Amino acid sequence: MVDRIEGLGPIDPRGYQRKDAKADFSEILKEALEKVNEMQKKAEKMADDFATGKISNIHEVIIEAEKASIALRLTLEVRNRIVEAYREIMRMQL
Amino acid sequence: MMNEFKIMTVSATGMSAQRLRLDVISTNIANAETTRTERGEPYRRKIPVFSEYLRRTVDGKVESLGVRVVRIVEDQTPFRLVYDPTHPDANEEGYVQMPNVNVLREMVDLMDAQRAYEANVAAFNVTKSIVNSALQIGRV
Repeated sequence: MVDRIEGLGPIDPRGYQRKDAKADFSEILKEALEKVNEMQKKAEKMADDFATGKISNIHEVIIEAEKASIALRLTLEVRNRIVEAYREIMRMQL
Repeated sequence: MMNEFKIMTVSATGMSAQRLRLDVISTNIANAETTRTERGEPYRRKIPVFSEYLRRTVDGKVESLGVRVVRIVEDQTPFRLVYDPTHPDANEEGYVQMPNVNVLREMVDLMDAQRAYEANVAAFNVTKSIVNSALQIGRV
């Protein structure tokens, strides 16, 4: 079900901080990259397992590789958008 | 994001199921003329039984994780009787019990398995293209 779109709450001048956010952006990015790295490693391991005959279904290997590649692209996309926003702010004339 | 990955896993179980079905059909075709098995009777046609793969999540909901093969059963229809007195497994009247495999039917099942596999691949590709479209949001 599609939820009702909530209006924006008042912006807190002391700075926006998520309650559950434990870290800054660099740490979140690092975590995401680690996850992506794990997925890439898993895909690579599955390719090895296929080559050595431990896995007989080729589609499992392909799908795992696809997942890893999608996760990497998603992370890159998020990183690019954030960097773009950062640059936008840095270009701001004061 | 995890949801898309879950759909991909569901498609993967479908592919695995069809792949196993292909194995079973190939075995049936290979043994279409086999008159001797370990049990001393002709080969019996094998059929895979698929079942929906459900899992209860932590918040009590039931989610589908695709399909899985629960077991492979044997077709209990009677064997074919073929008159061939020269056959080493012929009985006193000259009839041989042949497997209850109909090669024509197996060929049709084979095509069905191939198409079903392709359908799963198509579902996977649609999921992937949806993810790709989502990544394009906001790009001018």
